Amino acid sequence: MVKKTKITVDHSKCHTGASTDPRDCRKCLFVCDPAVFLMHPTLEEHPDPHNPEIWRIDPIWLSKCTGCMKCVKVCPEHAITVVPGVSLHEMKAR
Amino acid sequence: MCEWCFKHGDGGKWYNNARLYRNELADEYNCSEYLEEQWKNMETLFIRKIMGFNSIGLGYKMKMPIIGKVIRKVVEGQIHSEKKNRNPVRADGHFGQVLPLEDAQHIIGNLAAEPIIKNYCVCRWMQRGVKDAVCINFGQLSEVIEKHTRYIPEGVKYRLDREEAIQALQEQNEKGYIASVWFQPVPYINAICSCETPECGGLRLRNDFDLRTVYKGEYVIDIDIDNCQGCASCVSMCQFNALRYLPSVKRVIVDLDKCFGCGVCRHACKHDALNLVPREDVPGQAGKY
Repeated sequence: MVKKTKITVDHSKCHTGASTDPRDCRKCLFVCDPAVFLMHPTLEEHPDPHNPEIWRIDPIWLSKCTGCMKCVKVCPEHAITVVPGVSLHEMKAR
Repeated sequence: MCEWCFKHGDGGKWYNNARLYRNELADEYNCSEYLEEQWKNMETLFIRKIMGFNSIGLGYKMKMPIIGKVIRKVVEGQIHSEKKNRNPVRADGHFGQVLPLEDAQHIIGNLAAEPIIKNYCVCRWMQRGVKDAVCINFGQLSEVIEKHTRYIPEGVKYRLDREEAIQALQEQNEKGYIASVWFQPVPYINAICSCETPECGGLRLRNDFDLRTVYKGEYVIDIDIDNCQGCASCVSMCQFNALRYLPSVKRVIVDLDKCFGCGVCRHACKHDALNLVPREDVPGQAGKY
């Protein structure tokens, strides 16, 4: 079994209760070179797509994470944790 | 010419077939309805479950024995689907091809249906948090996107005439963005994007997971060894890591297997050393899209 990279975004810190809307902050998106994160509305039907409550940031392309930890350092709410695993590049080489 | 040229090109490249830009064709396939559903929820594409799987950690899922192969087959089937019951929220039948600036400008100048608009690139916004109004959309897609104001650039003229759109493509291509043309859904053509890796959803799936969401272009680059002065300016323009500078021979080399034929590197060359040649004329690259 390959050791998968684990990234968590604590939505009780990023977003609800946080000082900023994730769409205004979005620092993790900017610093992540392989663009692992995705900013998205939740899956329910939304009559108002501009409502800040429906927006989340989640890690998505986990196998592209190279474990630089820049997102962990840049997050003003300390909402992100990263446990690096095997990256896609390493898997290809096998 | 790729398989889609044979299917929809009517004797030429698929994206040069005027029929595929027509309103009548869009109506025949109920494209307006499809596009409305697709664009209402575009940002949820990668978190949505498709047959029990979403794209989170896709790289690991595709490496699983058997299941990985099944996922590849199912996803590619959806991307290239021409069936009647295509699902817009998972973008069935939505794929494209890289093309050089000249071909993109020919489309905008001669083939694209009006109205033509520019809007924020959804990929760049949801993956990098950057608002960049570089997507040129046309035909029935323009009217759909206009209804969703979050995609519309603020405080600028976003409806473009043909000349303005041609100029916009020129500027974006010179910056280093890759022009690409899109079926949405196949066979209706309504968008020319100016893509950047790794944010572009299409190029992401192609480059990282080898899913054919974006086909390589009809051309590949040819380096004129006599003209190349070894300034290496072009290397920084290539988004596919196809170009590299070699100090020993003081020139740039190309990995044609990685070249998508976008031609963006040509903007950096001051010595006329880079030219596009038809992919079909290079025996090792012919048929490899």
